[in-house]
Amino acid sequence: MTAVIADVLILLGLAILTIGVYGIVRLPDVYTQLHAASKAGFLGIAALLAAAALEGDGAIIARAVLIVALLALTTPVAAHAIARAAHRREEPMRTPAAVDETRDEP
Amino acid sequence: MSSDIVFYAAIVWVTVLLGVIVVRLAAASTTAQRILALDLLTLVLIGLLALAAGEDQRSYALDAALALALLSFVATLAACKYYEGRKPFT
Repeated sequence: MTAVIADVLILLGLAILTIGVYGIVRLPDVYTQLHAASKAGFLGIAALLAAAALEGDGAIIARAVLIVALLALTTPVAAHAIARAAHRREEPMRTPAAVDETRDEP
Repeated sequence: MSSDIVFYAAIVWVTVLLGVIVVRLAAASTTAQRILALDLLTLVLIGLLALAAGEDQRSYALDAALALALLSFVATLAACKYYEGRKPFT
């Protein structure tokens, strides 16, 4: 039974990761790509680690929990740092309805 | 242990994803997109190590994944700070 759950978790994680990579390929600028990469990436990895921990012994469970907790803390910070760097270097927003409210011009 | 067919299919598919990200990394139009692709590359690599650890109880693969997660976080922050125009370690 747990083997079936582990298989389902692996397939779920792969599907979410694929969505994230597809977002990297298709979305027009870095600000929108960050949505796909950070959120979908973290969720996919968390599903894969849960599948590994489901039938693992104590060493694997402890490391998997530690990695998930660490990634939950660091992924948003890294995404924010990338977005701030891109914004300060004035990388263009290529989404059709994008409005940059920090700029003065209308 | 998950069933063999799912495990091998997952390994192949994650490797395909790694290849796609590497192509995207080489073809990125801005530096921030390149940093982001590198970040996602290490994240997917952690997934590959998690698959390897779950298949036959290799907990040392997750040690490598933990080190990789920490290293990619620090590397992303340093690269972003450098790209902003500041020195990374001030």
